[in-house]
Amino acid sequence: MSGEFEPKIVGFLCNWCSYAGADKAGTAQSPYPPNVSIVKVMCSGRVDPQFVMAAFDKGADGVIMLACHPGDCHYTEGNLRALGRHRMLLRLLEQLGIEKERCVMDYVSAGESEKFVKVINDTVRAVRELGPFRPFSSHSGK
Amino acid sequence: MRIGVYLCNCGGNIKDKIDAEKVRAGVLGLPGVGYFKAVDFLCSEGGKDFLAGDLKTERPDRVVIAACTPREHENTFMKILASSGINPYLMQMVNVREQIAWVTEDKAMATEKAARLISAALRRVSLHEPLSKREIDVCPDVLVIGAGPAGLKAALSMAESGRRVSIVEKSPVIGGMPVRYEELFPSMECGPCMLEPVLSEVLHGEHSENIELLTLSEAVGVIGSYGNFTVKIKKRPRYIDAEKCIGCAECIGVCPASAENEFNYGMNERKAIYVPFAGALPNIPSIDETVCLRLKGKECSLCLDACPVEGAIRFDEKEQTIERNAGAVIVATGSGLYDCKKIPNLGYGRLSDVYTGAEFERMLSSNGPTEGNIKTSKGKSPKSVAIMHCVGSLDKNHIEYCSGICCQYAFKFNHLLGKKLPGVRIFHFYKELAVPGKEEFELYAHAKGDPNTTFIRYADITDLKVGSKGGKKAILFKKSAKKSDSVSVDMVVLCPAVVPLPDSAKLGGILGSPADRFGFFEELHGRLDASQSKIKGIYLAGACQSPMDIQSAMTQGMAVSGYVLSGLVHGRKLEISPVCAVVDPEKCSGCRVCVSVCPYKAISYDPEKETAAVNDVLCQGCGTCVAACPSGAIKGNHFTTEEIMAEIEGILR
Repeated sequence: MSGEFEPKIVGFLCNWCSYAGADKAGTAQSPYPPNVSIVKVMCSGRVDPQFVMAAFDKGADGVIMLACHPGDCHYTEGNLRALGRHRMLLRLLEQLGIEKERCVMDYVSAGESEKFVKVINDTVRAVRELGPFRPFSSHSGK
Repeated sequence: MRIGVYLCNCGGNIKDKIDAEKVRAGVLGLPGVGYFKAVDFLCSEGGKDFLAGDLKTERPDRVVIAACTPREHENTFMKILASSGINPYLMQMVNVREQIAWVTEDKAMATEKAARLISAALRRVSLHEPLSKREIDVCPDVLVIGAGPAGLKAALSMAESGRRVSIVEKSPVIGGMPVRYEELFPSMECGPCMLEPVLSEVLHGEHSENIELLTLSEAVGVIGSYGNFTVKIKKRPRYIDAEKCIGCAECIGVCPASAENEFNYGMNERKAIYVPFAGALPNIPSIDETVCLRLKGKECSLCLDACPVEGAIRFDEKEQTIERNAGAVIVATGSGLYDCKKIPNLGYGRLSDVYTGAEFERMLSSNGPTEGNIKTSKGKSPKSVAIMHCVGSLDKNHIEYCSGICCQYAFKFNHLLGKKLPGVRIFHFYKELAVPGKEEFELYAHAKGDPNTTFIRYADITDLKVGSKGGKKAILFKKSAKKSDSVSVDMVVLCPAVVPLPDSAKLGGILGSPADRFGFFEELHGRLDASQSKIKGIYLAGACQSPMDIQSAMTQGMAVSGYVLSGLVHGRKLEISPVCAVVDPEKCSGCRVCVSVCPYKAISYDPEKETAAVNDVLCQGCGTCVAACPSGAIKGNHFTTEEIMAEIEGILR
């Protein structure tokens, strides 16, 4: 590594669309930075806001939530639940003084490997520019 | 705890980017790791044999497999675990090929990321619990609602394979809409003749003993779920003993009371004891209690006196509520037509000689109110007829979609009009024309080539104004933005949009099966699963799901039979995936947020215990309720909060 700040980002991906989209980026061998580590959930509706807050608490510099496009959710509307929770999270993060660019939600279908790579690149770039996340709880230290 | 870690090299696919020795060094010291092995092709026959043998030798408590995407081989490896005596859910895969090796340019970074994700999987898998599929007994019998083409096709195919089928039909007759049509597009087959063999098979065929036909009946309540529904059915009295009646119709002629015949859209009358039209099946009359003098408390026994069979007419019959058990319910209730009165400029209901397509079908039928003669209200043969396509269709003020069948019957009318009334002038007013398919073009081509047929395109239905002028219908239409023109005809036939039946919402409510934005029964997936409803075990066949022709309805009838025959098998239990949500009643506060977010109606609330409970037969394991529960009372099996939190910690170690 070049000594440049390498952000740690946790990506929550739904099994049916986004995870498959990420797999397609793999099959297409489209390179992207290794900063995002993926946690698979069956549905983006499973992403508990606690997971996002815990990720920040445990040292993540950013979080990505990826879901099926509206209307395409394998479970009908879990993605819309995720959308609502993401909006709520943004308000909470704002209250805590955390930049909203650190918490991204987007839709990636199983076919959209290029979009997946773009979301990863954009988020990694944005978080890198923001610099390391300074934990909000005092016990976490620096 | 002893965790075994396997890294698949996938030939060079993984090996070239991920340094197995460095991963080994990073992983071996981690808590719980018993051993680390790199294998060349874990999914190959040799690789699978190695894994099975190695698991038997090593006897790990948990297994981590770092290889390709779990979407490819998770099931393969789960099966190997199971065959090696290890619970298959005690494994976690790490997608080091698609997510790392194939997309990371720098080998050191790829290796570091692989070690990181394996460490996350180790933390997660140490919390995995052994899970097993639950098996439940299922009822292989089926209930079909609606005895039109789709419902009968489904019932017959399932009865042929030995299933017991109950058909619930609201009206006294079977066959649905097409038995009321003299001839059918695209090949001008006689509707009753085409369907009669199907109806006969249902009533008296080789497998008819497997079919219970409940006419004059409605489903009024449903409890249970896939594999084990109990359906409550309200059965209205026919007042005729179907076993005794010989169908001679002696009773009908003598009946002194009559009413509008709803099967002919009120264009003629029927008796209080009646069959809706000649040839209707089953060939057993029914008595309309709102019309029958005796059932209204008056003295009359004319039908009884005329009936040659003792006890065939049963005035003491009462409404019954019965129950049937079924593993699956098939909805095949059909569709209706858009109310043409909602487009008042077309004159329907206000002017004489303006008919809907369905009414005109009955006029064309030899068993209809005019015995197949096309007559105006003055009793004359029309010399000119206007056929209006797209009535209410493709119109954001009415119905947005194209029903797909109207053009075809409109061109059928064109053909029949020309045949019955040589020289008749026909005007087709249309917004768009739709005649897809390998047979459907012929009637269209015939109309196009007919010198007596004129096509007039309109932009908006409000551009057409039907008025009455000198005993004729004057149709004013826009020829261009500024110019108007008019034609004068003796009769107007409207082709309205095909719409959901008015009471389909009620049935949907009873079944818990939601409606789409138009009011049709909503399918699970428009292309993959158009014949499955959103509720497991409730299937959709025919026009209750979308406007469709007989061919599609019949095909859907077969499709739903396929779901039933493959899903509910005699003697085979239903496997319930353990990856589902479970409510801890001790923690549940009874707030019912989970009930509101579940897309499958899998969660119910027990008002006595004041807690929610998940039906694992219906639960699909999405975990939306788990994330929504404010009390943390719901556990998402295999995706528990603790497991996901451990994975997050592992990533961020």
